[in-house]
Amino acid sequence: MARRAAGLGRGPIVRLAGSDAAMSVLVVILGFLVGTALVAAVGRDPANMYRAIIQVVSGFDLTRGTWNARYIGEWLVASTPLVLCGLSMAFAARAGLFNIGAEGQYIVGLTVAQFVAFYGPPVPILHWVLAVLLGMLAAAAWGGLVGFLKARYAVSEVVATIMMNYIALYLSRYLTMLIPGTNTYKTPSFPATVRLGNAWLEGLTNRSRLNTGFYLMLASVLFFWFLMEKTRTGFALRATGFNKDAARCSGIDVTRSTVLSMAISGAFAGLAGCAVCLGSFGYGRVLAGLDNYGFNGIAVALVGNSSAPGTFLAGLLFGMLQSAQPLMQSRQIPKEVTYIISGLVVVFISLRSGFGLILEARAKQLARKGKPRDE
Amino acid sequence: MKKVLLAALIVLMAAQAAIAADPTVRLLTDVSGVDDKSFNAAAWRGILEFYGDSLAKPSKKGSAYDVITAQTQDMYIPNIKQASDEGYDLVIVTGFTFADALGEVAPQYPSQKYLIVDVDWVNHPNVMQATYTEHEGSYLVGVAAALKAKADKIKNPKFGFIGGIPGAVITKFEVGYVQGILSVLPGAQILDYYANDWAKPELAKAQAKNWYDSGVYCIFSAAGFTGSGAIAMAKEYRAAGKNVWAIGVDSDQYEDGLYDAAKGKSAVLTSMIKKVEASTLYALKAIKAGTFKGGVMVFDTKSDGVGFSDKNAELGKDIVAKLNAVKKDIISGKVKVFAKYADAKASKGFPQNLQAKDD
Repeated sequence: MARRAAGLGRGPIVRLAGSDAAMSVLVVILGFLVGTALVAAVGRDPANMYRAIIQVVSGFDLTRGTWNARYIGEWLVASTPLVLCGLSMAFAARAGLFNIGAEGQYIVGLTVAQFVAFYGPPVPILHWVLAVLLGMLAAAAWGGLVGFLKARYAVSEVVATIMMNYIALYLSRYLTMLIPGTNTYKTPSFPATVRLGNAWLEGLTNRSRLNTGFYLMLASVLFFWFLMEKTRTGFALRATGFNKDAARCSGIDVTRSTVLSMAISGAFAGLAGCAVCLGSFGYGRVLAGLDNYGFNGIAVALVGNSSAPGTFLAGLLFGMLQSAQPLMQSRQIPKEVTYIISGLVVVFISLRSGFGLILEARAKQLARKGKPRDE
Repeated sequence: MKKVLLAALIVLMAAQAAIAADPTVRLLTDVSGVDDKSFNAAAWRGILEFYGDSLAKPSKKGSAYDVITAQTQDMYIPNIKQASDEGYDLVIVTGFTFADALGEVAPQYPSQKYLIVDVDWVNHPNVMQATYTEHEGSYLVGVAAALKAKADKIKNPKFGFIGGIPGAVITKFEVGYVQGILSVLPGAQILDYYANDWAKPELAKAQAKNWYDSGVYCIFSAAGFTGSGAIAMAKEYRAAGKNVWAIGVDSDQYEDGLYDAAKGKSAVLTSMIKKVEASTLYALKAIKAGTFKGGVMVFDTKSDGVGFSDKNAELGKDIVAKLNAVKKDIISGKVKVFAKYADAKASKGFPQNLQAKDD
């Protein structure tokens, strides 16, 4: 106890640097501080930025003195695909893979869900369950294919997934336009049975679009955590991520781990596609461009340290920034500010290891001066 | 608590209304924002004009009017709802991509007034829908092309039309243009081509080269960015001394066609102008005068919603004078321009084999 107390006198900063979670929090705060300074520098009131953020997370509009729970609902709607794409990135990262393909896997999930919407059995519940399952399955295959190429032929997953993104986009456009009644922009309306709308959640949040996709996201976070931290499969994946050769020598099937991690990673992104497509839209879209949820997922996973709870919180943070954007614009804060903040957060996170080194050096210096160590 | 807040809000809004005689307006755009040099920019211009502001110095932005750009399509609905919550006198959404979102939100806010441009199927009493008679403007540029061919004494001139994706909207352009040409040169040969894409200028350029080489005198493109390929080809050929023309669409594309800027020589003979700003300006004036009502508002030649550009000096005073006379005839109803291919086809001498499609 005495040792620990003595250690506290020296160590909180060093220990903070050691803790990835604390570092993420620090980095986010830093990002906001710089964002605040920027807003002030362009002559706008930074308080308005925070008013917008407060409105997103609490529903209170401090400018007008009103409360509307819908804003909370829309925040969670925006966060859902971000968390899921974050999980996608994080899952692959834990197995030592860099999955840039969440965007493409998201599109594959979305496209298949759109098809099931029109060609699946219009039976309540069964219809959307089938759409979501097939969407995830297709996205898992899309991701798993890259995993296979990587494991079998040592094809770089970074390059392969980037290329697969564009294949997915144009394939989706081509296929969606084959659905009868589709123009160059959208398909006819979905049948009600396939939509993820949830009357209870909608009622709770004053008719926001908050839907069953939110529950599926929560379940995914739990699934991620359980599989990764509590099962043998998860251990094999992590071991592959730490050191592929060591894992192979310990009898872990590295090929299986690589394919599996890319497939599960794809399934998360595919679920994000289903949640957006069946939750936020009443019709299928002929995608004119990327929705960018997949790419934003990379940042989410980075900030969330590729852990389930971290990614969940980081997804809520990025969802908050996205939802706050129109509210900031409404208060004359340039929309670019939210990009700058999220960009800064990512840059700072990337500097994390650098920070760590500096702090470690400082600690050693202090130690040399005869301060006690608690390691 | 909620009632007190509501009362406070009403008092606040009443106070605001008493101070500001001018209405408040919010523009909601898609991801391209008001700097798109096209549709959104034009809507924004109309708003600025109403408040007497300039693009460089929007002094009343933030107090009387503002704009919110949606980063993704799934933000359309929350953005419309947010604007409706915030108590603007008018909420403007641009373009048909907003139609579904507006159709869902408008009935939930029956006292909020909305304006949507280029759409006529969001039928709610609080939604004003602005549509344009693009066929009339296209008729005018068709007449211009034919008159120029006549003035240049071209033997058996051929005329080309390049469309984006076939459908009722682009059909209005094609049918009007063809009718305009035939009104001057009844037997003229018409060619048409659809790129099936709004953003592939290379397709339009290849087609334009092909046509110009085979004796086509003038090409009108209604194909978004794709159409710029035809202008680029006309530029090359005119710079090389060949007498061919392109016609611009929506905004005045004279500048895009400049091949000898010092002499002001442009390959764009004229442009079919569609004034999106006219509809935002109109809706704001209606709000101010208290005459705003839902329904379809048609912006035509008469209300100066569509027209032609006379910026290119080579069009000549004679032709401009003749075009203005034709314009008067359209306004008076003496000239009736077809908007549908089916109607045009039924008239005598109209080409039967165009690729135009009515929905």
